[in-house]
Amino acid sequence: MSSTSTELVINRVFDAPRAVVYRAFTDPDQLAQWFGPVGWSVPRDSVEMDVRPGGVQRFTMVNDADPSMASPVDGVFLEVVENELLVGAEDWDPTGDPSQSERLTLRIEFADEDGKTRLTIRQGPYTEEIMGQAREGWGSSFTKLDALLAG
Amino acid sequence: MATDRLSEIFAALADPTRRAILARLSESDATVNELAEPFSISLPAVSRHLKVLERAGLISRSRSAQWRSSTLRAEPLAEVAAWMERYRQFWDVNLDRLDAHLKNIQSQKGERS
Repeated sequence: MSSTSTELVINRVFDAPRAVVYRAFTDPDQLAQWFGPVGWSVPRDSVEMDVRPGGVQRFTMVNDADPSMASPVDGVFLEVVENELLVGAEDWDPTGDPSQSERLTLRIEFADEDGKTRLTIRQGPYTEEIMGQAREGWGSSFTKLDALLAG
Repeated sequence: MATDRLSEIFAALADPTRRAILARLSESDATVNELAEPFSISLPAVSRHLKVLERAGLISRSRSAQWRSSTLRAEPLAEVAAWMERYRQFWDVNLDRLDAHLKNIQSQKGERS
């Protein structure tokens, strides 16, 4: 019980340099080539990336067999460290049912490991409490983002 | 709405004191006094934590006022596990595709140089 966690943690090592893996997540052309479950595609023109704190991250996963099934991701970057860290808060749902959309936090860490890249993804539910704790840690640089999130 | 309910459960679980209270209750039922013992916080503070846990359905409390004890309820934790499993499956497949994509662009780069 004491290990009860409120976030999903996923680790995977990729045989590619850190900068290459980072670009796969931040370059719209690349994201459109791989992101989404099998049988789903991300149309290139749906991708909008402004990779800096407060910048938007938007794209839509579309079902290949039934294009009327679409699952949009609409997020904002909270922390950005090039080739190292991406933190975002976003509304999305992997099932393609917009009424099931959830507000999540997503933290993606990129680390060197023997010439390869260890990717650590932490995904958790967005709650005022969790975001409050994060705000304390981030200090005053958050003021601008607060305004943005409230707007 | 299932999502709102999950949000409430997650918010309740987000606090380390409340997680410690749940861990204590996984051993046996306990009164407010017993729950307050290991923590350097007041009885009213423990009561507030218990209210949050009760609202999220994570515990139930007996009605006898004097020795009111709390009991752990496991069902909401199963919902949390199901939520995590859904996203774990999403990322497993997604990262398989990322792996294939990275191999693809790396080999293209290799052919060009």
